[in-house]
Amino acid sequence: MTGRNAARALLAGVLVLVAPLAAGCGIQPSEVITGSPARGGPSEGVGLYLIRNGTLTLVVRPAEEGVPPAEALRLLAAGPDAHEQDEGFTSEVPADALPASGVAASADRSRLSVTLSGPVTTLSATAVDQIVCTLDGAAVAAGSGQRFAAVTLSGPDGDLKPRFCPRY
Amino acid sequence: MKRWRWAVGRASGLRVRLLLAFTLLGLTTTAVVASGSYFQARRVILQQAQDAAVVSLTDQLSKVYPLRRLPPTQDELDSMAAILSDRDSSVVLHYHGMRTRGSQLPEPFTPELREVVRGGKVAWQRVSLKGQPVLLIGTQLMIDEPDGTSRPSGLEVYAVHSLIPEKQSIDQLATLAWMTGGLSLGLAVLLALLAAAGVLRPVRELGRAAHRLGQGDLRTRLVVRGTDELADVARTFNNTAQTLERQVGELRRMESDARRFVADVSHELRTPLAAMTAVTDVLDEEADGLPGDAGRAARLVSQETQNLVRLVDDLIEVSRFDSGTARLALDDVDVAAAVTATLRVRGWADQVRAELPPDVMARLDPRRLDVIVANLVGNAFRHGAVPVSLRLHAEPDWFTIEVTDQGPGLEPEVLPHVFERFYKADTARTRSEGSGLGLAVAWENARLHRYAGQPGSLVAGNAPAGGAVFRLRLPRVADPAGDGGVR
Repeated sequence: MTGRNAARALLAGVLVLVAPLAAGCGIQPSEVITGSPARGGPSEGVGLYLIRNGTLTLVVRPAEEGVPPAEALRLLAAGPDAHEQDEGFTSEVPADALPASGVAASADRSRLSVTLSGPVTTLSATAVDQIVCTLDGAAVAAGSGQRFAAVTLSGPDGDLKPRFCPRY
Repeated sequence: MKRWRWAVGRASGLRVRLLLAFTLLGLTTTAVVASGSYFQARRVILQQAQDAAVVSLTDQLSKVYPLRRLPPTQDELDSMAAILSDRDSSVVLHYHGMRTRGSQLPEPFTPELREVVRGGKVAWQRVSLKGQPVLLIGTQLMIDEPDGTSRPSGLEVYAVHSLIPEKQSIDQLATLAWMTGGLSLGLAVLLALLAAAGVLRPVRELGRAAHRLGQGDLRTRLVVRGTDELADVARTFNNTAQTLERQVGELRRMESDARRFVADVSHELRTPLAAMTAVTDVLDEEADGLPGDAGRAARLVSQETQNLVRLVDDLIEVSRFDSGTARLALDDVDVAAAVTATLRVRGWADQVRAELPPDVMARLDPRRLDVIVANLVGNAFRHGAVPVSLRLHAEPDWFTIEVTDQGPGLEPEVLPHVFERFYKADTARTRSEGSGLGLAVAWENARLHRYAGQPGSLVAGNAPAGGAVFRLRLPRVADPAGDGGVR
């Protein structure tokens, strides 16, 4: 009986030792490994925020250097171009939301303000976000504002409270 | 069942147990060491390969900047993918609904990976693609602002990096680990066998020595090697054997002393007995003339003196056998004539039915043959019943003499002791007419004749019809050495 038990124990021991070796050989699939934040690079052109699938999405249009923020607002009011429309981009900014003046920036570049020629109180929340983010991005690109600056929109029908571009 | 028990006994033997222990030890150590180093090396190899691939991809990303158009056209997307692809990794770009065109790659990208990439982090994952290990690396192209912040562009870059070279290196490692394991296992078995031999050899020597000691070789000693437990056992064995040898030697010395004493006493008794014999001879002649009790006393003294003479003669004979000084005085003899002479001298010629074929010549000690035959026939008359018959039978190298009586025969429990000294078959009869040594002396005399290394023999038995049978077997030509050789 001792012999049989010993043989059984030996077999079990060998299996316990060898099994993981045999099973764990080669390269095993892994979980997702998260590294550093993604690297970035410069962009050339003007950045506008359009709507895609209901969310604010950045598009970049080829342009010469130094597009002023007011010009960016004009491009935004013109709506998505044909290619952008093909890709499913839309805009809620009405065509009359054009800048009536230049974009004013505070000295510390933390506040921006602009007066539109169209009404501002009737703009949808999404349209306001589009305008605020586009203006903010253009001001940062032009060096006249800082990222996530407070933007005040004014119009013939009154002023809106300062807004920030939502973080996305 | 017995066979199984035997197998279990062998299986739990020292050699097998040592072998198992060493093998298990070797296997455990090898498995732990080899697997430990294998896993560590694999981890390092994979980590280095992954880090290198990730760094290489992120370095490549600068080639697609600056971004000029979002959403990109399909051509721009394809050309970016072409720029980022290289020899051992192919790249797929996603932009929301768009995807690099013409890519042969399936979509191995797991939802978890895309989730992390959309969150703006570089991420990678090893997966098995068509049975081959690949590394998936994902990242998003960010747009840096002049003030140092960055915005996600929505362009996701996924690279499929083959890990086949790493797989080959790791497989080599595994092969090496298995070979190391096998080699060390073989080494363990070899060591176990060596160790078993080292332990078993002294044990086997001990067993052999014990066997020799048991066979009676009291001078058996072991060579004591080293100072381990086995050496202790060997030393103990040697001490035991030495004590045993000394004690047995002591006993033998005492026994030989006793025998010498008997021999000396017998010799010392001879001279007075010779004188007594002379006196009793005279008494015998005069006994008939003596009246009543005096005549009976004279005859009694004469009879007992004769018995004493025979006893002393037998004692002297026996002590010669015991001391090994008995020698054969060989002569060419006609056996039938010698036996007839023995019977006639004792006055038994008419009472014994003798079948004696003539011309059975033998070279032997005639005095000893006389002693044997006289003892056997006398014994038959004393303890058996007439008629006593004697039959001589010749073979090429041996002859036999059978002495048969018509008495009750020998009891089975008596048979083995018939030739012992002073053995009394009839316990009720404390006083025997014989010396009690006659058959013992006859037996020794028979054995003294040797031929071709085989001694003569004297055996006792019972005839089928009843009556004791004593069969003497002697060589036709006895070896001249005639060395006592009995003891």
